[in-house]
Amino acid sequence: MIKRLTILMMGICLMGIHLVHGQSDHTGHRRVTGTYAITNATITTQPGKQLSGSTIIIKDGLIQAIGKNETIPVDAKIIEGDSLFIYAGFIDMGSQAGVEKPEEAKKPENFDPSNPPNDVAGITPERSVLDYWDISDGSVGDWRKVGFTIAQLLPKGEMLPGNAALVVYGATESTNVLDESTGLYAQFETVRGVYPGTTLGLMAKYRELYKNAELKDQHAQLFASNTNGISRPEKNKSLEAFYPVINKQVPVIFEAKEELEIRRVLKLQQELGFELVITDLEEGSNLAQELLEANAQVVLSLDLPDDKAAEADLKEATEAAKSAHKRVVEAYNSSLANAGKFEKAGVKFGFSSNHVKQEDALKNLRLMISHGLSEEGALAALTTHPAQILGIDNFAGTIEKGKLANLVIATDSIFSEEAKINYVMADGYLFEYDVTKSKKGNGEAKNLTGKWNYTSETPGGTSSGEIRFSDKSGNLSGEIDVDDPNGGGTITRELENISYNGKDLSFTFSITVQGQKLTVSTKGKVDGADFNGTISIRDMGNFSLTAKKVPDLKF
Amino acid sequence: MRKLTYIISALLLIGAQQVDAQTPKGSLLIQHATVLTVTQGTLEDTDVLVQDGLIKKIGKDLSASSKVETIDASGKYLMPGIIDAHSHLALDVVNEATAPITAEVSIADVINPFDVGIYRALAGGTTIAHGLHGSANAIGGQSITMKYRYGTRNPDDIVMKEAPRTIKFALGENPTRVHGRGKNIQPRTRMGVEAVIRNGFNEALQYKENWKNYNSSKNQKNSNAVPPVYNLRLQTLADILDGKIIIHCHSYRADEIYMLINVCRDFGVDKLVFTHVNEGFKVAPELAKYTMGASVFSDWWAYKFEVYYSTAYNAAILTENDVVTSINSDSDELIRHLYHEAAKTQRYGGLTDEQALALITINPAKQLGIDEYVGSIEEGKQADLVIFDEHPLSVYAVPQMTFVDGVKYFDINEDEDDQRLKVSPTEMVEPVYLQAEEESCMHGVELFTEGTTFTHSH
Repeated sequence: MIKRLTILMMGICLMGIHLVHGQSDHTGHRRVTGTYAITNATITTQPGKQLSGSTIIIKDGLIQAIGKNETIPVDAKIIEGDSLFIYAGFIDMGSQAGVEKPEEAKKPENFDPSNPPNDVAGITPERSVLDYWDISDGSVGDWRKVGFTIAQLLPKGEMLPGNAALVVYGATESTNVLDESTGLYAQFETVRGVYPGTTLGLMAKYRELYKNAELKDQHAQLFASNTNGISRPEKNKSLEAFYPVINKQVPVIFEAKEELEIRRVLKLQQELGFELVITDLEEGSNLAQELLEANAQVVLSLDLPDDKAAEADLKEATEAAKSAHKRVVEAYNSSLANAGKFEKAGVKFGFSSNHVKQEDALKNLRLMISHGLSEEGALAALTTHPAQILGIDNFAGTIEKGKLANLVIATDSIFSEEAKINYVMADGYLFEYDVTKSKKGNGEAKNLTGKWNYTSETPGGTSSGEIRFSDKSGNLSGEIDVDDPNGGGTITRELENISYNGKDLSFTFSITVQGQKLTVSTKGKVDGADFNGTISIRDMGNFSLTAKKVPDLKF
Repeated sequence: MRKLTYIISALLLIGAQQVDAQTPKGSLLIQHATVLTVTQGTLEDTDVLVQDGLIKKIGKDLSASSKVETIDASGKYLMPGIIDAHSHLALDVVNEATAPITAEVSIADVINPFDVGIYRALAGGTTIAHGLHGSANAIGGQSITMKYRYGTRNPDDIVMKEAPRTIKFALGENPTRVHGRGKNIQPRTRMGVEAVIRNGFNEALQYKENWKNYNSSKNQKNSNAVPPVYNLRLQTLADILDGKIIIHCHSYRADEIYMLINVCRDFGVDKLVFTHVNEGFKVAPELAKYTMGASVFSDWWAYKFEVYYSTAYNAAILTENDVVTSINSDSDELIRHLYHEAAKTQRYGGLTDEQALALITINPAKQLGIDEYVGSIEEGKQADLVIFDEHPLSVYAVPQMTFVDGVKYFDINEDEDDQRLKVSPTEMVEPVYLQAEEESCMHGVELFTEGTTFTHSH
């Protein structure tokens, strides 16, 4: 009986699906029209150039016309832009939105950590980020919502994770690929416990790989030009991935956040002579001259440090503590002024979204602007400069007839506090956002911010660690240290879906166990410095989690 | 003020020499000092004239142009800048502990000029330190000789360009613990350490041969030669065999010291310095005959098994046996008072003032291959100088001013509370590390030594 009922129900369900399929558009996602007209808007066609009361016509993914008296095609969807501000879609110079980290390479039998295979050591320059990218991943949409329409995707991994690629954040059905292999991504990150394990080993290994790629290229050319008597060059995919770099067809995109890292990259570049993009800089405007001389392209991080100094209680502080505090404030302000100083030094730069939360991106840009970056400079770093650096300024970066229809449409001048992004058009596809939606209140978030020590009882035993909450203008964020389920110490996971009303607190975080992603949901009640709650993992049940807040240190 | 001087002189130099940027060099006249030259005796009431970073003249009643700063050192003592032959200060990474041989790595890549410890070392009269790779590997990385020109943000500016290349070797417990016990690979014993080094050298000989053959045949008519695989590790070992690199070898026991002497003799390597050398006194004649010397602790021992048999007389015994001996710190703290460490040899072994001072000046300079430039107060040498209020071997001595290349980097009267060059925008209080490992030879190798019972790891 039950069996028959199930079959019956399944039949009904399938019929439902079948009905949807019974149209010419198999997916049901096809849009009504690809033609749009945004009328009577304020259009910044490129940094410093503004048209008021103008109309943009878009057709088939391209900007067809801009002007005051354009004829609106009959099939156009009309968006009244009377109070709207339009900008060229932003270009992200370094993104990992929707990019998955490849599975850890298996260690061979009788593994010798002093001489690991390349993939075990995080050396996989032959990989393409596109093989690990999913545009339907939610984070792509999150970044599109901020105004980004084109991104240089960076692969995930360690020392040499692979090749970058250029994509447009258009429809999920399209391939969205603008260009493959736009650069070889490199990082100061190593795999634990194998060679190379530190910056020391990493730099030596990089030099060696580069030199060997040069030699192998020579050998291959020799073999190609004169096969008689020349031994066959052994294939080596890691070294061959360097060929476009050696031949200066693509740059190395090296992540270097801090000044000493930037200097180390410049040193390698000086020795070996590759084309260079330094990405995710969080400081280094004092090195502007060196970067210009090295002809290095610069990508600044959209991330900014937390203003921890502002939280310090100096009431009972000693003079020494006060002067130390003053230096921290100076250092903080200097971080915020970094972009402005780069601009003054005449360095063209773009921005990277890697390592920043999407809700902080525009806020951080405003902070950079209040610390010396010009609005024009900020917009150029989001549009024209990255287009030039990436060599796509013939079709992206400005609002011009014939360029790709990538637009950011805001309710106010984009860098003003009040501005909200109402629409984003990417690759001619329109995405609309509800700007009336108010921000979810986080109650007395201040009570929560800081460190908490937690203890959790699970069938696997007692585990403990730290949870850290921080609050940026009402947006709670946090992270938790948990025992690595795959062994070997602790890992830090970012908290998601944090909700707090002054009493009830809930959040989730995810861990990967044997390749499977598990979401851990936590909820409970906060009472002063105590948290009592439960954690639940699907199919595994509920367990207790209690936490105690660590008192804030005061001077 | 000191910083300002540095910035101004740096700016002037940028203007003058855009391409061949040089480090700042100063001129000054120090008058009426008791000059402890180390190599040419003690000169009472003597002047030292420094011009463009070099000691121009030593004598009485010297004069300089009015633009040159004059320092009255009446009643004070002037000695050469102190040289530490074994330090890990101002390095972002100390150990690449992942392989028994990591000759290819270079400490020059990880210098951190922002380390305020450099300023503290200057305040203790230290002007040059040998930044070494750690002792986790039988053959560790290439080390770097640094002149402590504090104030620069550029690591290259504190590299002493004239200094020859050096490399770290390590014997005994540390490499066997990290690799043998930690990872179950060779070396697991002292025999294994010797084998690792011999194998490395033998491989390097073959590597050298391959490249020699390739280079000699590649330009010949109808050559079928293809380039061999480049191996920075073996290339570095080949450079050692060619005498281009001085070995500084971490060692404790007499048997292992003599073992490496024999290995080096077998391979024709004579640029060899032993460091720590707790049992060096047992093989002093051999050290004197076959090596460039021994760099020892003044009085550390018994912190692990292989250093039980030690003595504070070690430096004195070695010195009296004609071993070029130095006293090193291997510590960010000891580096601030190496003059006290040297003075201990007068209590334990009765060395003369000159012998004791040589342990922290000319002798480490010889071991680093820089004695023609620094290590004593002689005309023509680089003006790395320290002024003390008392004789530097007195327990009451306090350094007053420290100069590198004639530029003043420390002045006790201008010493400010906060001498950091770079401040974190988010750290309210900089972390303080109380673990000894944080500043020692085994820095950064905790990963490989988990579960061991050793607490001290130099």
